[in-house]
Amino acid sequence: MPDPTLTFKNGEKEKRAAELIIANKEMAFQNEEKEKRAAELIVANKELAFQNEEKEKRAQELAIANKELAFQNKEKEKRAQELIAANNELKKAQDDIRKLNDELEQKVIDRTAQLESVNKDLESFSYSVSHDLRAPIRAINGYTSILKEDYEGILDEAGIDVLQAIIDNSRKMGNLIDDLLAFSKLGRKQVTVSEIDMNDLVQSVIEELPKDASDCVPVFSIAPLIPASGDRSLIKQVWINLMSNAIKYSRYKKEIIVEIGAFTKDQFVVYYVKDYGAGFDMQYYDKLFGVFQRLHSQEEFEGTGIGLAIVQKVVHRHQGMVWAESELEEGTTFYFSLPQQNNT
Amino acid sequence: MNYENIEILFAEDSKDDALLTIRALNKSGFSNKLHHVIDGAEALDFIYCRGKYAGRNPKEFPKLILLDVKMPKVSGIEVLEKIKSDPLIRSVPVVMLTSSNEGPDIERCFALGANSYIVKPVDSDNFFKAVKEIGVYWMILSQPSN
Repeated sequence: MPDPTLTFKNGEKEKRAAELIIANKEMAFQNEEKEKRAAELIVANKELAFQNEEKEKRAQELAIANKELAFQNKEKEKRAQELIAANNELKKAQDDIRKLNDELEQKVIDRTAQLESVNKDLESFSYSVSHDLRAPIRAINGYTSILKEDYEGILDEAGIDVLQAIIDNSRKMGNLIDDLLAFSKLGRKQVTVSEIDMNDLVQSVIEELPKDASDCVPVFSIAPLIPASGDRSLIKQVWINLMSNAIKYSRYKKEIIVEIGAFTKDQFVVYYVKDYGAGFDMQYYDKLFGVFQRLHSQEEFEGTGIGLAIVQKVVHRHQGMVWAESELEEGTTFYFSLPQQNNT
Repeated sequence: MNYENIEILFAEDSKDDALLTIRALNKSGFSNKLHHVIDGAEALDFIYCRGKYAGRNPKEFPKLILLDVKMPKVSGIEVLEKIKSDPLIRSVPVVMLTSSNEGPDIERCFALGANSYIVKPVDSDNFFKAVKEIGVYWMILSQPSN
């Protein structure tokens, strides 16, 4: 009879074995699963390793970029400092310019004051020259005239001639002083510019020209004259000097013809006065406009040598030019230019 | 000295100019009633009967006054100013004489009321003409007004 206990134990063992089989199966299954999982993990691991590599690569790149940025930052700071320095320099330069400007203005004020005082000195100089030089010459001239008038009968012809020479010379000295003063006055005179009707001005000059006692009356041939801007009284003096010169130097010709005209050139009006008189040698042209320079003898043509110097000074003060063309015994043409009148 | 009937009072410090002016006036026949003083101070003494002119009749004024601009002590311009600001003598014509047309004198003289202004020419012929003009001026003045 089977031992029940044994039977039970057998039953148990069988149960246990079945259970073990199941457990075994289960384990086999689990093993399989684990292997599968391990395979999966290997794949995942590989993936991770790859990702890691990528990240490291990226990190390296970032490190490089960072360095680059740091460098750029430094550059920018450097540049900013440079800009600040440049700005400071500019400010300093501006201050300097302001200071220089102030100094310049002061200098202009000082110079103007100096010039004004020199001008005043010159004015009082001319004043006393004209007063104090003219007085003794007047006395010489006057007393000599008295001698000539009251003692004519006592002196012979040679004596009278000497007296006349003294009279003529003192008169000439007076004219020289007057002309020189007129010339020095020109430099100081304020130029008042206005529109000048030249036809009108030239006509008034012709009417005012001193009529020579000789029977040779000058013939004027005047083309229509373009107006210009200038100081009427000064420009009138230019016409007077040029026209009376034209007449004077035509004196020994059969007839006195003076041609006057105008044309425009660039922004200027050019006027001319042409005569058919004695003319001059162009090789002495440089002396033509000099103060007290003369190209003819006093015996041939009288004069102090100031007329053309005045013409030149007046024209230059108007920003114009003056020039001449001449041929001996054929005649002379004087030209002067003035700024064209503004059509505003 | 008799200062009656003085018709022209002439103030001129320059001996030479005075001689030449008086000679020129003489030649024109105008100087017999002229009195010459040598500066502005003496001119004012004459006009206001002071100093050596204390005995002069203060009611008699010259008919014409010639004043040199540049004189010592009291200048012609100062005398002119005095004359033209005095209602009693203001109407007497004053002719200014000067050596020069330079300087601010001309405008000042006319502004102060000078009746004429003569720049003494160097040339004696022209000087004579200028003085003759004064003579003519004076002649017109001394004609009895109607």
